[in-house]
Amino acid sequence: MSIFRELQDHQTVRQYTRAAGERLPRWVLPVIVTLVVVSWIPLVFIAKSRVTKSDVPRIQLIPDMDQQPKYLAQTASPLFADHRAMRPPVEGTVARGELDDDDLLLRGKVDGNWSTTFPFPVTMEVMHRGRERFNIFCAPCHGLAGMGDGMVAKRADALQEGKWVPPTSLTSDVVRERTDGELFNTISNGIRTMPAYGPQIPVGDRWAIVAYMRALQRSQNASPNDVPADHQSDLR
Amino acid sequence: MDLTVVFIFRYACGSPGEPPTANRRRNSEPAGVAILGGIYVLVLVVYAASPGTTDVGYQPNQPVPYSHALHAGKLGLDCRYCHSTVEYAAQAAIPPTQTCMNCHKSVRSESPKLLAVRESYATGKPVEWVRVHDLPGFVYFNHSAHVRRGVGCVSCHGRVDRMDVVYQAKPLSMGWCLDCHRNPEASLRPQDKITSMDWTPPEDPVAFGKRIRAEQGLNPSSDCWTCHR
Repeated sequence: MSIFRELQDHQTVRQYTRAAGERLPRWVLPVIVTLVVVSWIPLVFIAKSRVTKSDVPRIQLIPDMDQQPKYLAQTASPLFADHRAMRPPVEGTVARGELDDDDLLLRGKVDGNWSTTFPFPVTMEVMHRGRERFNIFCAPCHGLAGMGDGMVAKRADALQEGKWVPPTSLTSDVVRERTDGELFNTISNGIRTMPAYGPQIPVGDRWAIVAYMRALQRSQNASPNDVPADHQSDLR
Repeated sequence: MDLTVVFIFRYACGSPGEPPTANRRRNSEPAGVAILGGIYVLVLVVYAASPGTTDVGYQPNQPVPYSHALHAGKLGLDCRYCHSTVEYAAQAAIPPTQTCMNCHKSVRSESPKLLAVRESYATGKPVEWVRVHDLPGFVYFNHSAHVRRGVGCVSCHGRVDRMDVVYQAKPLSMGWCLDCHRNPEASLRPQDKITSMDWTPPEDPVAFGKRIRAEQGLNPSSDCWTCHR
């Protein structure tokens, strides 16, 4: 039988009360009530700390070896002037597999001229990768369709930033006429007010972005004949 | 809760349905008080020591009042624009100052809030951000391993796109990790939704996750050496 059903039975409650009243001294009930009330106080404090935020570092009840005297990625070290535990490679060293000897892949050049081809075949997989990377790194300024209407550009306009130069539309003739190597170089090293994205985007992804830019350009300068025959009827 | 305990205590002293007799009560009362006190202390300790109390809600002050709610939420920047190593490395790197300056060279370039960023850019000394999500030194968590298998950012970091100042939203305790390692389905999502903060599966999350799990052949290990080396 449930406790609460039982409690609703007034007869039972009266019997309990009477039994207690007959046996216990008068001060017992107030003491029990006080204890019950006081016993809630720590629980309330704990509940509060569970739902509020605090800049006090987390409490480690059993510290074990939680904090070890070792350097993790991006941690600080008092040993070096710039307080970085991570050290840059000594100048002139080359990591394995990172020899800087592929002019086409790394600089977009063939015999000193901007390349008009890709260093690898452009497959559907490359295009999908390019779209994803474009949306992450380029769309904030250039917009999802490359027209220069990204969210950052819109915000800069709204804030009336004096130094802001609106991003170039990637589907404009100027950009369309650039070679693949030039576009790759622009992403890698920046141009005018656009910063260099080489440090942020791996080299293969930069090429994939160029491929996707070509798709965007074509989509904005297409004729009905570019649509596959079996989709022609969808145009109307 | 206390009241419930009190009634349980009463029941412990007298069998239900039958009013307790004075004799029986007198004999069992000290034991009852001890049990009651024991339960209370146990509940208190477990409640107070749970990671939900000790760890969740840690929100340190940062050297720059950077708002994820503005950048990731309102502007919709993808997490990977700044945390660009998350798919390749164990660490979802705190971005270098250069990444901030990509935009802030020309947007809000005079803002006093960005003083520390400009100083870092000029001197080459890093901005000393305070780490929020800090696992014990003997845990070797790998971001890329999780992100590339379909665990989204929001599963462990909460709605960062709504946080002005980032705080720890999840317990990040061992039990919490193991819950997911043993039953990962509900936390799996397609690769193109990894950084989405508001994505919900089109059907039952477990059924959806089961399919992703089968497609990718995911079998998360709960062996000690998976995370402890």
